[in-house]
This record gives sequence, C-alpha cells and structure tokens, in this order.
Amino acid sequence: MKGEFILDRNHLSYWLRQMRKSRELIGPLMDGGKDIVFKSVDKIHELVLDCPASLPSPKEFLFPQYESMLRFTPLHLPLTKGGQGGVSLSEKAIEDLSDKTKRVIFGVRSCDISALSLMDKFYIEGHKDPYYARRRENTLFISIVCNNPDPTCFCIGLGTGPYLEKGFDIQMTDLGDRYFVQIGSHEGAKTVKAMSFLFRRPQKTDYEDQYEVFLSSKARFHKRINLEGIRQMILEEKVKDDFWQWVAGRCFECGGCVYDCPLCTCFTVTDRTYSEGIERVRLWDTCMFKGFTRMAGGVLPNEKMVKRTKRWYYHKLIYYPESLGGFGCVGCGRCTITCPGKIDMASIAARLKGLVLNEEEE
Amino acid sequence: MKGNLKNNKKNGNIYIPLNGRIEEIIQLTSDVRLFKAKTEIPIDYKPGQFFMISVWGSGEIPISVTSLPEKNGMPELCIRKTGVVTTAIHSLQTGQFVGLRGPYGNGFPMDISKGRDVVIVAGGIGIAPLRPLIQQFIKKPNETGKVTLLYGSRTPDEIIFRDEVEDWKKSGITVVLTVDKGNDNWNGNIGLVTGFWPEVRTNFKNAVAYICGPEVMIKAAMRDLFFLGMPDDRIITTLESHMKCGVGKCGHCYAGPKYICTDGPVFSYKEIKEQSILK
Repeated sequence: MKGEFILDRNHLSYWLRQMRKSRELIGPLMDGGKDIVFKSVDKIHELVLDCPASLPSPKEFLFPQYESMLRFTPLHLPLTKGGQGGVSLSEKAIEDLSDKTKRVIFGVRSCDISALSLMDKFYIEGHKDPYYARRRENTLFISIVCNNPDPTCFCIGLGTGPYLEKGFDIQMTDLGDRYFVQIGSHEGAKTVKAMSFLFRRPQKTDYEDQYEVFLSSKARFHKRINLEGIRQMILEEKVKDDFWQWVAGRCFECGGCVYDCPLCTCFTVTDRTYSEGIERVRLWDTCMFKGFTRMAGGVLPNEKMVKRTKRWYYHKLIYYPESLGGFGCVGCGRCTITCPGKIDMASIAARLKGLVLNEEEE
Repeated sequence: MKGNLKNNKKNGNIYIPLNGRIEEIIQLTSDVRLFKAKTEIPIDYKPGQFFMISVWGSGEIPISVTSLPEKNGMPELCIRKTGVVTTAIHSLQTGQFVGLRGPYGNGFPMDISKGRDVVIVAGGIGIAPLRPLIQQFIKKPNETGKVTLLYGSRTPDEIIFRDEVEDWKKSGITVVLTVDKGNDNWNGNIGLVTGFWPEVRTNFKNAVAYICGPEVMIKAAMRDLFFLGMPDDRIITTLESHMKCGVGKCGHCYAGPKYICTDGPVFSYKEIKEQSILK
C-alpha cells in the first residue's frame, strides 16, 4: 500500500509516543548545544527537525562503530594467554550477538535515506551480512524533506535529495501547521494504518503547499556539483597523477571522511577476551590508514598515501557506479565539515572543474 | 560447499565458524606445518579456494586449501608461522579446534588446462594453493598434456613438501627445483624461478600457467610467460591479501575495483592488467 496523508503538527508528538511503545525511538537531538546527533529520544519535544545535518550519519544504527558479533564461551578448559588453546567446544558455545531491537529513526534526511539503498545492495546481496540485515529489517525510517539545506549540502546535483520519489519508508514534508506524509514501503504503510485516525487525505492546497516547499528547498542550495562530469574526467584520464599527489599531500590520514560518510562500509574484526568469554567484535575501519591492507609478514601494499586517497575517490566515483549502480556519495556534505585538509568530495569536484576550465582557457 | 550451506541455514549467520578438530599436524619445515582439520559435516571445496581460519581470542585469517576434497571431509591447511593468528594455530595440538568458515573465493579454472601443457610456477609457501592442482593433474593424467613445475625456495631447508616432490616426479611431472641460496648439501639449481624457462619444454603459445608466490615473482613470471607467447587469459595466478571477512564486506582485500575474496583470489593476467589489480 502506498499513499499520501496529512498529519496535523499537533498530532506529531502523540504519534511518535505511540510508535515508541513498540520501537525504540531515535531522532536528531542537540548534543551539548552544538552538534546534531541521532540518539535515543527521551523527551520528544527536544527533537530538532529544522537542523543542520547530523554528525555522524545515522548509519550508526545499521552498522555501528562497535558491534559485538559472536561470543565464544569455553566449556571445559580455562583459556590460556591470549585466549589460545583449542578448548573442546560444542556449537552451543558460540552465541550470536546480533542486535534485533526494533527501532524507528525519525527525522532522517533524504540523502541518508538514499544511501541506504546502496548500503542494502552492498551488505545484503551476495553473501548476506546478518548483522546489517537484521538491524535493517527491524528499523523503520521516517525522513523529512529538507527545507533548510546546509551550505555544505549538494544532494540536489545527485538526485539524492532534498526530497525523494522512492526508497523511503515514510517521507514527511513540513507545511508549517501540518505535515504532508508519503508512504513508500509496506512497513511504512503498516505504521500509518495502525494510527490511521491521526491522518487525513490531502486536499489540493496540501499538494500545492508541498510543491512550494520542494521548489523553495531546491532554490536554497549553495552548491551545484556534477559528479558525473568528474567521473567522466577521470575515465578520460584528464586527471593526472600530480593532482592525486596534491590531494595526498593534504591528507591528514584521520579517517574522518570515512567515518562520517553514510556510504563507507569498511570494518575490521578483532577478538576481545573478557571474563565471560571471548567476543568477536567488528569496528569501523578506514582505507585511509596505511595498515588497512597490511599482509602477513608486515608487507604494506598501500604504504604510499597517494594510493589510498586516490583509491577512495576511485571507489566513490568509478567503482561504486560499476558495482552498485550509483555514486558512493549522496552529497550530504559531512566530509566537507570534517576534512581538515579541505580535500573532501565537494572541494575536489570544484577544484577538478576549475583545473579543466583553466586549461581550456589557456 | 554443501555442508557449509547446511550449517549456514541452521543459524543464518555466515560469520559463525564451523568447528574443525585438528586430526593431524605435520611439520614441513622449521616454520611451516600442515594441519588436517575435520569438521562435523564434510565440506566440499575446489583448488584455489580458501577458508577463514580462526583461533578464538587471536582472530581470523584467510588460508587457502592445500588439498583436494576428500570424502572424510578433512581439508588440509599449510600454514607458516608469521603473525598473531598463525602463531596461535601453531600452538595447537591434535584434538584441539580451529574455527573454519568457507570455502570462499572462485578457485582455479580447470577447464582451460584440458588437453594443454601445464606450467606451474611456485615460490615459497606459494606451493600450498598449487598442491591440489598438482594432485588433480596426477589423478587425471589424460586430461592435460605435459605438466612442469618450477618451484623456487629461499634455501633448501625451506622447500615445502620435499618428499612429495619426489612422488610427483615419479608420477610424471617434470619438476625444476631452485633455491636462492644453497648449502653444502645442495647440488641443485640456484637462482630465481624466472631464470628457468628454457627447462620448460613446451610450446608456450598453447600452454597454460598457474602461478603463486611472492608478488614480485608473480609479476615477473606473468610478464615473462606473456612475452614467451602464452595468451594472457591462460596465465593464472592466485593473490594473497589481508582479509577480515572473506565475503566481500570488510573492504580490506581491495585490489583496484575488485575484492580478492569474492572476485578472486584467482585472476588471469588479462584481468590483472585490465582491472589494474596488481599495482
């Protein structure tokens, strides 16, 4: 079931409170009065909806920075140092720790929702990643059409915002005294249906007001970035090695771009020994680090910084479209905020465009 | 494969390893051991595929299969003690367990060697993933032409499967052994494997090659064979990489646009050139 409804602004907190009875409610909250962070919502009136993009992205709830995967409990023999020693074990000794909490994440931006469709392809197709898949199944996303994009935002050039045509569970447009509610998935429909008395059918004026919000939102973007143009430049080998050298020279290897990116997916796995047993945990990792590809015997195939920075851009701009059908960038602008070297996606795109223009002028 | 699928269905989690009971350990050289691990359900696999092997508390690493699948379901794993996990594996005794996930990866293409001469080039522990191929060629001698193995080690003491090499010779395989540095008991070849192409008596244009070893050796061997006239889609190698998942998610084994775990670990020279995999 798909559909369009109107929700009175006064009914929003009631609706969220009702939803919270069956799901953990996550939403954008002001953290220390400065940054917006997606957190479990205690007081619904503290939700900040007209806010700048959250740091970090809500991918945290599908692919957490730290996630316990498995717990191994030795049955018979005590562990030796470092947890070694093949203890006798049965299958029951391995416990699956995947998170099955039901959640609703409210107030997500369109760009982050767009990122989900590629994340889903990446983690679920082929070998299915059970940790991501289970969290995804249990999470409902309610997105808000951005009517106040940040100066760093550029989703508009990528078709990943400020509003979406598809790919969302529930999309809401703020019309002042009411919300225009669009349903995009079965789970979204179920949620609205359960509280159908809160919603009414939209009138002609509601459609007109929604359209106006779409238009005014589009007009507020500062950045117009054409990543397809950049992709073509790279494919046509117009971007020379000295450019990537320049990028590498400015990289601090902090990994900030990767951690904040809603479409960066890499992780490392490590075993931690606790008194109750050994946990196999996974943590975010970044290809910006030299040790990311370290091999047996300490060989570092990507020791040179330029290989790593260049690869990140190639991955986002060339390999992502080839393997998943879309750019590894949704224009959320988080790397622009985070990158201390000013070599974020938007800056690189602007600089490359400038380089070519200059060359053409010469 | 069948067995593991059965297991996966049961718990729906690809990251849960099977328990592999170590039935036999053979010391091959000072730092290389061969482990035979028995799983509760027999696992099917192909030469060139790999398993994620773990010791709880130490971690998980990719190890290629060193044997052909057998009915008793005991994959053999040839492991050199180099890092944290391999050291932990080396500390295990028979009767103890390793975690085992897989098999993963594409495996060696076998059909391209049908009716052709085969050149196998191994460097050091690179012999390990090539051993099941050799076993396969010995098992079915009529399916291929002449099989030649060029096998280089650092020193004579580091030659892995030295006894088996003699058996392979008896089974009709031409073996050229060479070492970087000899000792008093060594009166064989000294030098890089890539210096011994004249010993391979074949028409390279019609032959097929399987290569594994250190990256520099792989690169040199592929290039040489290509210049000797072997078509690049019949020069096959298997690549090693750091991996955390084995199933194309963790990102550690990237090589150009490919992931070594799911797109490889076996690649042809053609793919390697076209996709800039080894750079």
